[in-house]
Amino acid sequence: MSYQQRNVTVALVTHLLIAAYFVINWLTMYTTGGLVDKKVFGLWLTVIIATIAVTIFGTILASIVGAIVHAVKTRSDKPEQFIEDERDKLIDLKGTRVSYITFSIGVGLAMLSFVLKQPALIMFSIIILFSLLAEIAGDISKLVRYQKGV
Amino acid sequence: MTKPHIRNNIRKLRFNHDEMTQEELAEKAGVTRQTIIAIESAKYSPSLELAFKIAAVFDVPLDEVFTYEIQEAFE
Repeated sequence: MSYQQRNVTVALVTHLLIAAYFVINWLTMYTTGGLVDKKVFGLWLTVIIATIAVTIFGTILASIVGAIVHAVKTRSDKPEQFIEDERDKLIDLKGTRVSYITFSIGVGLAMLSFVLKQPALIMFSIIILFSLLAEIAGDISKLVRYQKGV
Repeated sequence: MTKPHIRNNIRKLRFNHDEMTQEELAEKAGVTRQTIIAIESAKYSPSLELAFKIAAVFDVPLDEVFTYEIQEAFE
């Protein structure tokens, strides 16, 4: 597994965990009738901050663990090379395209919910959910392309 | 019409160059080993620049490394 694949895997796990946290909390609020501004804003804030923080620390941790595993496997003190070549850039671009398409679908659904006279909280919750789903879809796309070749 | 296909002789050329490893070739061409693996197994078609770099590593013309199957592509 290359450096880039490892980073994408860490990002995927992170996004899956945060999306699960968001969905579980949101559904709990919705079913218990606690879908009020204050609680929902708090949940959004937690999700956005957690996404940024966990992604940064996850990447740092993955790099440290990866460097240790590389040193143990190769039995040398020569550091692992972190080259990003043309294939990595192409895979990254294609993954980003999948993310944008998924997010666009989410924005469309959010607009539709507004047209159907749903509260603004539902609309913004759909946007937040699809921003996470877009990241997940992009990460999965990248991992599949790394396995396939491109 | 089938998908255009680019074949390569990288495995043979590596063998002829003292069994050069994929890691060594990757280092000389300035890419990752995973990219060399993908090119060698015809899963990824490199850019023209990278194709020339690989040919330069083996010190052979480009058409000795890569061949494009025109017939198959336009059937």
